Amino acid sequence: MQDASAPPSPFRAGLDALAARAPATALPLLRAAAESGEGGAYAGLNLGLALADLGRVEEALPLLRDAAVALPDLAEPWFRLGLAAALRREPTEAARLLDAALARAPEHVPALAARAMVAEADGHPGEAAALLERARAIDPVEPGLLLMEARLLLEQGDAELAASRCEAVLRAHPAQMAAAAKLLARALRAWLGEADALRHVDAGAEADPFSPAWPLAAAHLQVGCGRPETVLAHLRVAEALAPGEPAILAELAHGLMRAGRETEAEPLLREAMAASPGDLDLRNMLASVLWKRYRFAEMLAVLDDALRNFGEHPSLLSNRSLALTYCGRQREGLAAAERAVAISGGELPTLINRLSVLPYHPEQGGAAPLLAAGRDIARRVGPPARVAHGNARDPERRLRVGVLSGCLGVHPVGWLTLAGLEALPADGFELACYALRTRRDWLAARYRARATLWRDVADLPDEALAETIRDDGVDVLLDCGGYGEGGRLLALQHRPAPVQVKWVGVQFASTGLDCVDWMLTDARETPPGFEPFYSERLLRLPDGYVCYTPPPYAPEPGPLPALRNGYVTFGCFNNLAKVTPVTLAAWAEVLRQVPGARLRLRTHALADPATRADFVSRLAALGLDPDRLDLLGGCPHAEMLAAYRDIDIALDPFPYTGGLTVCEALWMGVPVVALAGDGFAARHALSHLGNAGLPGWVAGSVEDYVRLARYRASDLAGLAALRAGLRDQVRQSPLCDAPRFGQALGQALRHAWRDWCARN
Amino acid sequence: MHAALSPRPPHAPAAVPPDVAVVERLFQRACDLMQQGRHVEALPALDRLRRVPTPPPMALGLRAEALLALGRTTEAVADVDDALAADPGSSALLQLRSRARRAGGDRTGALDDAAAAVLADSASPAAKALLGTALLEQGQHDEAVFLIGAALRADPANPQYRFALARALSETGHHDAAEEILSQHGIERPDLPVAALRAQNALAADRPDLAAALAREALASRPADASLHAVLAHALMRLRDLDGAAAHLLSASRLRPEDGYLAHLAAALNGDTTEQGAEAYATALFDRYAPSFELSLLSLGWRGPGLVRRALERLRPGLAAGTERLGPVLDLGCGTGLVGVALSDLLGGGLTGVDLSARMLEQAARKGVYTALRQANLMTVLREAQPPCDVIVAADVLIYLGQADEMLALCRRRLAPDGLLLFTVERGADTGMGWHLERSARFSHGRAYLERALAAAALDVVEMREEVLRLEDDGMIDGLLVAARPAPSGAAH
Repeated sequence: MQDASAPPSPFRAGLDALAARAPATALPLLRAAAESGEGGAYAGLNLGLALADLGRVEEALPLLRDAAVALPDLAEPWFRLGLAAALRREPTEAARLLDAALARAPEHVPALAARAMVAEADGHPGEAAALLERARAIDPVEPGLLLMEARLLLEQGDAELAASRCEAVLRAHPAQMAAAAKLLARALRAWLGEADALRHVDAGAEADPFSPAWPLAAAHLQVGCGRPETVLAHLRVAEALAPGEPAILAELAHGLMRAGRETEAEPLLREAMAASPGDLDLRNMLASVLWKRYRFAEMLAVLDDALRNFGEHPSLLSNRSLALTYCGRQREGLAAAERAVAISGGELPTLINRLSVLPYHPEQGGAAPLLAAGRDIARRVGPPARVAHGNARDPERRLRVGVLSGCLGVHPVGWLTLAGLEALPADGFELACYALRTRRDWLAARYRARATLWRDVADLPDEALAETIRDDGVDVLLDCGGYGEGGRLLALQHRPAPVQVKWVGVQFASTGLDCVDWMLTDARETPPGFEPFYSERLLRLPDGYVCYTPPPYAPEPGPLPALRNGYVTFGCFNNLAKVTPVTLAAWAEVLRQVPGARLRLRTHALADPATRADFVSRLAALGLDPDRLDLLGGCPHAEMLAAYRDIDIALDPFPYTGGLTVCEALWMGVPVVALAGDGFAARHALSHLGNAGLPGWVAGSVEDYVRLARYRASDLAGLAALRAGLRDQVRQSPLCDAPRFGQALGQALRHAWRDWCARN
Repeated sequence: MHAALSPRPPHAPAAVPPDVAVVERLFQRACDLMQQGRHVEALPALDRLRRVPTPPPMALGLRAEALLALGRTTEAVADVDDALAADPGSSALLQLRSRARRAGGDRTGALDDAAAAVLADSASPAAKALLGTALLEQGQHDEAVFLIGAALRADPANPQYRFALARALSETGHHDAAEEILSQHGIERPDLPVAALRAQNALAADRPDLAAALAREALASRPADASLHAVLAHALMRLRDLDGAAAHLLSASRLRPEDGYLAHLAAALNGDTTEQGAEAYATALFDRYAPSFELSLLSLGWRGPGLVRRALERLRPGLAAGTERLGPVLDLGCGTGLVGVALSDLLGGGLTGVDLSARMLEQAARKGVYTALRQANLMTVLREAQPPCDVIVAADVLIYLGQADEMLALCRRRLAPDGLLLFTVERGADTGMGWHLERSARFSHGRAYLERALAAAALDVVEMREEVLRLEDDGMIDGLLVAARPAPSGAAH
């Protein structure tokens, strides 16, 4: 018998900590016990359980397997191994392991529940219901089971009963409140409809104002109603009423992220993760937060850890591909994207993800592979809807032009499309804007002032969005969002408009989709002969495909820095995703050939120490001397422009060239050495430079690129003269000539419209 | 936030009071969010604090602030009432209620509270500035400038006070002084429309060229807003560039779609015929116009009231002879009551005036001729079930109404069988629908259209005379004076 005053042994203490839901405390104690042999095989088992509770599944698995062998009659190891397999999306294996657990302990309620969930996920609802009944017969009040039953009831259409089950759980089991509230919202909506469900929840809150359950349910009901602040309001009060509850913290973080408030979301997310280490979704959410804040190396670390512990989930792999690409590791990025496609059997999000990292790849970023990737997406989504449009087929009448984008504001889309849209002749065209994100900056105000019709459509699903656009009688729809976050390209599959055109806004290649009729382009982007690279028909504007709005707060270019420095400063203000190893090698060669020259890189990611260190670690191998480099982070826009005052020549990256950065460099008097490939994004720089009157600055090969840079760097007088006149040159060029662009755009859209009228 | 439809009395204490830690957390969260300006997000927490038996003292005031920011002014006032009950001498709470009352349209209450706030804390510059602004709106200009100036002296760098003083100076005609303040650095803030006020000031100083230049410069260098476009448009109208004005009014209206005044003016100048917004336009126009209305109208030679009286004398000879008096008279769009004055000695059965503009009605009340004055849409009043009228007058009302059909039909129903309807319109072409929204933002009506509309409303035309109604900048306004009576059979034809 143990002496009551003696401290408990490590094994006992470890067990107590585990039972008290403190696995972090239990861990060292159980390790000590296992090492000293105390507790026998049970030490190893419980150590495995502690690790699993901490989400360290990879480390837990061998211990659990050992325990299964050492304690063959015990159900627990099999149960835990089954849970891990379910988490890693291995349903057959999970079923096998859980059945083994149940063979040893037929009344193991959690194992029955887990087995039911696996059955349900694998498409056997009848089996799931039977298992659930067994479990409930043993433990009628276990809240997790009640909720599972509620979910099954809801699937079978009995929403009212489902709702009452949820409310029962809410009343009796505060610990399950988050899951119950979420399910309650679904059940109420299905049973009562939106408005009455809200009233029901309101009444609940009125009767019991200090229960977090009601605001939680209200939050879930209000998601997707176009009032993100209201959702946040409910979640805030739920959190205040139930502080530290990981599920609520996670919802709040998610709400803040939806509202673009990542900085506020991050600490909440980390708190939720600490309390709930086994939650995969939280890991992905953290990865998204880090992505938005340009902390790509950290994002990569989070994802690698999640992959080790949770297996090769396609979402993790896709996010990993983004992290790698944006660290400047494009080849690894594409490999991760391809793995996601393979693992998932070509699920649509993985295909879209692949297309979004492909144009950055030094070898695979060409027009042909890009088109193939787009066509893969088209095959996956199937043919577009066949819609009989009621638009009057008069080729010469005034047209309603729709613009669909989440970027109608201070964003590359804004800088490159606003002036052109403002200058569309009002007698021939009126503008309808469909904003996927509400922006309140000064460019956004100008869009609003120009649009006859403005709709904020963030919360509409694709089909409803298409219907809205169709009901508004839009004749020509300009997609300015593409496959990116600021876009809803697949909504075009529902044929919102008779004529659908792809324009600026993640416009890096053909979309591959049959529902996109035209690509708005120019003769430099897509010279004659480039038609096979596009599934769309090419609608070429006579000058360039964009019209640039220079920022009114741009400072003066100032004198050529080389004249005061005594050396040439090359610069690149593009993001690291565009900076490929081949580009870096070319830059290394340029620096070798121009003695004394320096290279200055400026981008947000370089302000993140981890990402910067990762980048720097690869420079030496590519021949770049860090002493000749300045690596700087991002800064507010006016300062960014002013930073060009210290640059003599901009070096453009490839294959994905600069777009807005080229326009800004030129506006600040800095010419750009560029290399043109055959993809659309590979020719952005060519288009802008040609349009601005500097076609001679574009090379056709890497060798030419280096030669060009050296040649231009050797003529300081020429550079100085060019710098002095460049802003005026750009101002007077078609790149900034809004009236000219507006006329041309009008003619192009008219042409597309006439074509449709003739065919219909 | 959706409204709760619970039948329970609001703010009843919760059945189970929460523990102290919960209340503390709710309050802390709410304070943090309010400090960040996140009113919507703070409100549920503040709502719950209301249900606590002894809420933290500041909680009620905070909730009122949130409600006010969200436009729920009645509830905000109620919350401050409760807070003041617990802390009657609080200048901050009195200031809060003043702002809430003003936002809810209770200008008198707002003024009272602002005055009380100053009395409660005579050193508070915020209270002085608030009182000054309220007095400015009451027309007490000198006191306003004095008080706001005092606030500014106590806190010279405060951009809100500087802005308020500039505004006060501008409205009292001290345009140079206002410009001096507005052109200083450091007054710019996202929530203060400095550039718009500066341009407006120039316009009020009769410098439309300068106003236009200032507005253009502001539009080129900062986010566009409706006020800037609107001021520029007015400046351009003064400079006779109606096309330029039209474009900027369109932009203004798009940036502030809920503003009926802008919508109506934009539609008028851009050639869109519409009736929407005319009510808001008329209200805004006349609320602003009211103090100088009569002066300007009389200087424009508005003949409406006289024409109406002479018509009545013609059609009821007994009135001129003094042997007859009028029965109940309804004066639609009575404005400052000039028609009432013209008919004052002929009244026998009461005179009711109806107008949209509170400020116009204030002036009408001072004439002591009207037995009743209603601030309402005339169509609403016409639809009410009331005893029949002897005479209905609608002088220069249809110019803000547009389509006349429904109004005429409603007038016919409100008239006694031998009653008279008298109205004036601006004469327009009989093309199209028969009535048009002119570039002046007023509607004109064609003769033939009126004849049709009157017939359809079962009203017989007694007279339809061409008359000059008044002068405008661009010449005389030709109008029609129409007298009509209910058709005998009562059936439309």
